[in-house]
Amino acid sequence: MFKKNIFEVLSCALILAVAAVCPIRASENRSGFLVSGGDAPVGAGTLFNPEISAILDFTYGYSEGSIGEPQGYELAHCHGHGHDHDHGISEGFALREAELTFAGALDPYFDMMLMMAVTEHDIEIEEGYITARSLPAGLGMKVGKFMSDAGYINKQHPHDWLFVDQPWVNEYLLGDHGLTELGVQLSWMPRTASYTKFGVEILEGETEGVANYVGEKDHQIVTVLPENTGKDDYSPDRNRWRADMGFEDVKSPRLYTGFLKWGPDIGFDHAVQLGLWGGFGRAFQAEDAHSSGRLETWDGESLFGGVDIVYKYNGQGAMDYGNLILQGEYMYRQLDLNFKNRNFSDFSTLEILDEKDQIWQQDGLYLQGVYGFAPRWNAGLRFDVLGLTNRSYDEADRLDDDPSMRYTGQVSFAPTEFSRFRLQAAYDDPYGEKSGWKFALQYNVSLGVHGAHTF
Amino acid sequence: MKKFIILMFFCILIAPSWASGKLNVAATVPNMGMLAREIGGNKVNVTVMTPPDRDAHYLEARPSMMAALRRADLVAAVGAELEIGWLPAAIRGANNPRVQTGRTGYFEGAAHIELIETGQAADRSKGDVHPAGNPHFDLDPVKLAKVGHALAQRMASMDTENASYYRQNALEFESKVEERIDRWMEEASADGVLPYHGDANYLFRRLGIPIYDTIEVLPGIPPTASHLRSLVRDLRGKEGIITYIIFQPSRGPEFMSGQLGWPVHRLPAQVPVEAEAKGYFEMIDRWVEALSGN
Repeated sequence: MFKKNIFEVLSCALILAVAAVCPIRASENRSGFLVSGGDAPVGAGTLFNPEISAILDFTYGYSEGSIGEPQGYELAHCHGHGHDHDHGISEGFALREAELTFAGALDPYFDMMLMMAVTEHDIEIEEGYITARSLPAGLGMKVGKFMSDAGYINKQHPHDWLFVDQPWVNEYLLGDHGLTELGVQLSWMPRTASYTKFGVEILEGETEGVANYVGEKDHQIVTVLPENTGKDDYSPDRNRWRADMGFEDVKSPRLYTGFLKWGPDIGFDHAVQLGLWGGFGRAFQAEDAHSSGRLETWDGESLFGGVDIVYKYNGQGAMDYGNLILQGEYMYRQLDLNFKNRNFSDFSTLEILDEKDQIWQQDGLYLQGVYGFAPRWNAGLRFDVLGLTNRSYDEADRLDDDPSMRYTGQVSFAPTEFSRFRLQAAYDDPYGEKSGWKFALQYNVSLGVHGAHTF
Repeated sequence: MKKFIILMFFCILIAPSWASGKLNVAATVPNMGMLAREIGGNKVNVTVMTPPDRDAHYLEARPSMMAALRRADLVAAVGAELEIGWLPAAIRGANNPRVQTGRTGYFEGAAHIELIETGQAADRSKGDVHPAGNPHFDLDPVKLAKVGHALAQRMASMDTENASYYRQNALEFESKVEERIDRWMEEASADGVLPYHGDANYLFRRLGIPIYDTIEVLPGIPPTASHLRSLVRDLRGKEGIITYIIFQPSRGPEFMSGQLGWPVHRLPAQVPVEAEAKGYFEMIDRWVEALSGN
């Protein structure tokens, strides 16, 4: 297993190295550094085509005892579904991920961006897409795997977050990776005095929290009796129990979102952006298969949306001194599901023990502020509430949990734009579960081209 | 309420301010905005995307920049990675093919002149280095006038009807610089200068004033006590002027001034947002005055 992974990593690195070197030869004469007077940008970046950067995200986590988690957000408990790369804080030292980014203009018509998350055991394509450079009339298009523009923080990579982890509402209502999907995004910017952008996204539909997908699949267990019952040899009796889970295949695209962003021009010192978004999933399918043979399934649709607001003040100080960022998001999801609890009545039949139509309605919000209290330093506070509306179920029983809260504070020091150290303390207060303090240390560094910061 | 919202929305969509038939120019910094206004005259609308009192290297893309780039026919940038922290992201977010890099609507001044301080090792242990060269050419009136010709050429290619008008304006701007340059060079007589960062190195070179060192340790790395002590050791006994830009911290420069007994000047690197050539020349006058004798 280990060897195989090494091999995969090496071959992947080789391909990338070749990809990185080849275009340089081809584009020597296009470099603005060597030829002046054109319409190409002057800079070191043009010597590297594509632009390459590597980001390391290293954390140390310490929590006071075993602190509980807000309950009733994940439908299926991932049995043995080893999730290699998540963006939460784990106990002890962790190299959460190394991000490798390759970006550049493909040709006069498209830009390409590839971002891979490499962990100690795995390589995952976090984003890989092309964007159109030459569509008319303010139209834009993105095709590939990308983080949705729905909401504000969703499209930020972990190294752009102002805290070590993401807000609860994103983690619990959408899932660990947020709304990251395969598909197509179309956007339109009217030619207005203020920044206005409309967008729709047509997506595959596999986001855990709003478009979990199983498809046609068998539920299967194997039981072994210790004794041989009547056969000639001495081997134990083996029985295979197998039946269809009852999900239908739903053709992609299964998930649709739409968003609107608006940012009036309020001078050089201040900037504000408002966002409104929503979406629906044609299929939401989840299963929880127990080793006892019992099978729980949820099958239905989802409807979700949110609002977001971001305000930034640009202080006049050097290196972000005096800058203030205030942001908040509210998000809601509704899952209309048919719940079935079944067990085998014989080797190939599942019998219904319980069936119920469930309407899950859950929401949450976060508010955060970060202030640059000295050049290169900032400090921030965040408040998370999850489950202001909280209609969820534990198997067939309805839960009506009160909201869960979290209070987080952080201090960061960025020696340069290329490195940042952060200390974070959070008090988790999940409803009905053990509350307590969590601490995290993080360093986050980037090597390579100087990336541009989106709003 | 619903009707009102729909009406508001409609108004936003058809706001007609741009429908003037003029060339829309989005300038990254006020100095480039001034130049675009001088060259384009009444044939262009200029929007300046950043204010004069911020370091254009440390900004991020904002919605207002993307709106300006969406409307623009031409982006006028300093270039050489000065705006690298935000301009590429803002262009990507602007859904406008005209101002993409490699298109006629993308103009970088740095691509049209010879840069100084080029060819440093691309090694960030030397600070926030830019191997392509020092981007801050816009404080040198002579280089800026040269860029003015290139900008006129670009505007002429986009609006052939007014080609000679743009070229004439570029010539006029250049002759205004020529009228003043001898006086500036004569008046600026300091033995040497100790700036905070290399923002005005083009101007110092133009005026023939030696640059001793910088108050910051390396590009983008603020001064440390040991660096300041070594500067004091090296420069004691010499004469010179200390300068820093209005958005840079004053502590290091003030400390050096106290130690060396040199005059210290806090100066702008950009003209006011709405300025024309007059405003630019006044700014250069202020620098020359600061550099006129010890």
